[in-house]
Amino acid sequence: MSKIICSAAIRGAHKIVGTAETKCEDALKKWGPDQEIGFPNTTYYLPIIYGILGIPVKTLGDAKGVLDKCKKLLPAPVSDKVWLPYLAPALEAGMATFFAEEIIEAIRYLEEPDFYTKGEDPLPDNIWLGAADDVIMRKRGVEFVDGTAPGFAAILGAAPTKEIAVKIAIELQEKNLYVFMCSDHEGKTMSEQLIEAGVQIGWPTRLVSFGPSYTAAVFAMGFATRAAMSFGGIKPGDFAGNLRYNKDRIFAFAMPLGTVTDEWYANAAGAINWGFPTIADTPIPQVLPTGICTYEHVVSNVPHDQIVARAIEVRGLKVAISKVDIPMSYGPAFEGERIRKDDLYFECGGGRTLGVELTISKDMSEVEDGKIEMIGPDLDQIKEGDKLPFAALIEVAGRQMKPGFEPILERQIHHLINYVQGIMHIGQRSIMWIRVGKAAVEKGFLLKHLGKVIHAKYHQDFGNILDKVQIKIYTDEERVKEVLEMAKKLYKQRDERVEGMTDETEETYYSCTLCQSFAPSHVCVITPERTGMCGAYNWLDCEVSYEINPTGPNQPIEKGECIDPVLGQWKGITDFVFKASRQKIEQVSAYSLMNFPMTACGCFECVATILPLCNGIMIVNRNFMGMTPCGMKFTTLAGMVGGGNQTPGFLGVSKHYICSRKFLKAEGGLKRVVWLPKMLKEEIAERMEPICEEMGIPNFPEMIADDTIGTTEEEILPFLEEKGHPALTMDPLM
Amino acid sequence: MTIEIPKIAYAGKIKEIPLGRGENIITVGGESCCPFHLFEGAMPHPPKIAMEVYDRAPEDWPDTALEPFADVAGDPVAWARKCVDTYGAEMIALQLASTDPNAEDTPADEAAAITKKVSDAVEVPLFVFGSSSVDKDTEVLKAVCEACEGKNLIIGPLAEGNYRAIGATAIGYQHTVMASTPIDINLAKQLNILLGNLNVPDDKIIIDPTTGALGYGLEYCYSVMERIRTAALVQEDERLQFPIIANFAKEVWKTKEVRLSEMEAPLLGDQKKRGILIEAMTAQCVLLAGADILVMRHPEAINLVKESIQDLMIRGES
Repeated sequence: MSKIICSAAIRGAHKIVGTAETKCEDALKKWGPDQEIGFPNTTYYLPIIYGILGIPVKTLGDAKGVLDKCKKLLPAPVSDKVWLPYLAPALEAGMATFFAEEIIEAIRYLEEPDFYTKGEDPLPDNIWLGAADDVIMRKRGVEFVDGTAPGFAAILGAAPTKEIAVKIAIELQEKNLYVFMCSDHEGKTMSEQLIEAGVQIGWPTRLVSFGPSYTAAVFAMGFATRAAMSFGGIKPGDFAGNLRYNKDRIFAFAMPLGTVTDEWYANAAGAINWGFPTIADTPIPQVLPTGICTYEHVVSNVPHDQIVARAIEVRGLKVAISKVDIPMSYGPAFEGERIRKDDLYFECGGGRTLGVELTISKDMSEVEDGKIEMIGPDLDQIKEGDKLPFAALIEVAGRQMKPGFEPILERQIHHLINYVQGIMHIGQRSIMWIRVGKAAVEKGFLLKHLGKVIHAKYHQDFGNILDKVQIKIYTDEERVKEVLEMAKKLYKQRDERVEGMTDETEETYYSCTLCQSFAPSHVCVITPERTGMCGAYNWLDCEVSYEINPTGPNQPIEKGECIDPVLGQWKGITDFVFKASRQKIEQVSAYSLMNFPMTACGCFECVATILPLCNGIMIVNRNFMGMTPCGMKFTTLAGMVGGGNQTPGFLGVSKHYICSRKFLKAEGGLKRVVWLPKMLKEEIAERMEPICEEMGIPNFPEMIADDTIGTTEEEILPFLEEKGHPALTMDPLM
Repeated sequence: MTIEIPKIAYAGKIKEIPLGRGENIITVGGESCCPFHLFEGAMPHPPKIAMEVYDRAPEDWPDTALEPFADVAGDPVAWARKCVDTYGAEMIALQLASTDPNAEDTPADEAAAITKKVSDAVEVPLFVFGSSSVDKDTEVLKAVCEACEGKNLIIGPLAEGNYRAIGATAIGYQHTVMASTPIDINLAKQLNILLGNLNVPDDKIIIDPTTGALGYGLEYCYSVMERIRTAALVQEDERLQFPIIANFAKEVWKTKEVRLSEMEAPLLGDQKKRGILIEAMTAQCVLLAGADILVMRHPEAINLVKESIQDLMIRGES
């Protein structure tokens, strides 16, 4: 931690504890040790002292005892010559500061009972509210826990002008944060600035004027400490629990506006114990490494127009957007809507014009959340039937964001746009195609509204991994071409990255137990080269799903020691599946049809099974209604495979997995496949090519029989023999 | 030749949850075996029945259900007292049905005031159900928590959409919560995990897995309930080791089979007896699936089930 900050904080703490001691001694002389003290109408005594130390301060005598503890807690002032680790002493100094300030404020209540209004609203002659009583705390504190108010900004001092004060206050209000105000800067206070500007302050507007002195900062900290005890079930004295609770759940930060005095430093150091960072407008030293707080500890010299956004970012507060603000209805009900030629007003992409969608991640400083730019004409500047090129460039930034998530976010664009009433979206990447209906344009739809949709929905659905979203929509041909070029490069890189990812390169696989509601013992194991059998979840999807919902159905599994590389068995996987299947599945192979095949839920895209006569494997997809050479239709096979049972010889697979290098490796891979429905063969033809090349049989697809050749083993065997299908000469399957 | 009855040794145990307050605490849970498998483990607290009380005079009940309460309908306090005094109710389940935004949309403070009065009028543990409208329940149950501070009411349903707001408020005012999920073991477990993350203490959680009426998907509810219990006992699934509540009376008494009069459906027999039996049979099913608390309506159905519980609790000689 910065030596300058620590020295100042420790100096400040010494001064504050000294003041408290003097006040306490004076009060003791005047009132005696049995004199009751405390904040009004609370069962939490002096809440910070009670929450952290577990000591109920009821009398001046009790306060004296706490001050003695403070003195022991206070580190020696930092020497100019000796360089030591400063963090721990500074934090302790900060803690002593709060204890002392609570005592100072408690004595103020004793000596000047009317110093504070003790209500929810300021009075005409007194704007200082003082400590929140239990009624206010109960009513407001729960908002911190249930998310209606994510936290608070503790503002010390005053803004340079009242206009700036108002702007900061409104910005904080817009984020649903409480604004707790105390102390002054050169005689001015933020609370007074707001009143001068005609802003209504008090608890109901979440602009809380705690007090004119810096010691009133303890009312904010005490509020947080009490909320943890009241709504978090934290016991008094469980200091670690209380501090962790606040760090993890209450998105608060200190915002000193104006000269940071030693006393302010001491308070800021104290707040760090709670995980609350400091964001200052003055050029004080910064403390950037992560440690106690979630991210940085002290960030300084932030311009006033950026200070709220910066504070939110540093504290890791997520933006909550409840509604998609566009002139049309929005929801899954409109997903399947088609826009036919007669209803068409405008279209782009889909081979008619250039079209591209791209989501990329950027540095936090490069993205301004909510910024939507329209480059080129929008729908209000064109005529019905006009066509325009189209590019949507979505730039996201987030502390938890990884470039690997980009394609997953990008893939959401399709359904997110389709949810808009009167808009049709097809395809993705540079084959995307949008149609806008006349009805939508009549209601005032503009292309830039797509940006609003994506901004809102990205925050709603992926708030855990991203913090900022900005969107640029281009209809200017030259600019669209630029985006398209950039996109093509990125698509190539992404494809290569996914291609390059193998089961060997990753140590962690993912489980999927989404379907346990109807197949209780089923556990899908998803590896980079074996996607979920439903085709809906690949390894990357699972990674994101876990980030978004850590208690959800996709859990990371350390694969551990490899038991058998050909069957695809690992110790970590075995253990996990045993437990997650409720002791029903003792062993599972990722790459085998015959030995401990993976169980299936019911949602598989295809079923693979053996054809003993042909010494091979057939695969049938869900859409194929006809008979298959194994003598069963898909529906009958599905009954054999599903329900979470391990049935050697029957396996649920995804279409994607068929063309994986790990496809039934134990049985010889794709080479074993002797029959596919023609529709399936055509669908996967392109992706089969490279695998066939690698196998050294580029014409292999021609050797695979399909339903036009036959639907019994007897019918297809002569065909396989004629083509010289490799399966016929492979080791027997059974 | 003696027959050795095969026994299962259960590794898990259901948590014991004290309901209500003071001398009138009733503890539920604590099982270390499948329901009534007393030869395999213990059921220290036999299942309990909470009698329904409605916040408004019911308008759509068949007369056969309303008859025992005709004199108190519309006065929830008198109704609750009658349940306790006349029918010996062990617990009361107050259904704040009128708060439903699609019904009367009774405001939260009014609902809280009614709950307060009922909670003052009876000493037995009091369950309070909202209308299962996520947003309205948040308002109503928060107000109820506040009005009845420290009474350890059992409030619900807490759903995925409102568990944070209601759960936190319940912690603040020391109540127990019912974690409600739509007939799905995974969702049930996840909500319990989330409540734990919110710091709701483990002795303040009851699982409400959603229960239908006999003939209306009960078998599915049965399976889910049974699986929750088996996972808790056999697989030591710690986040499912909570007592289960089955809130089915409102489902039973709205089915066609209890509403049709004997005139309309002579083949179905006596309407009153029919309704009572359907309620009692639904209860019997969920008892066998693992329910610890039954929310019931008709006093005669309740008597049948109480008797059955007593019979099942007699430990046979082995």
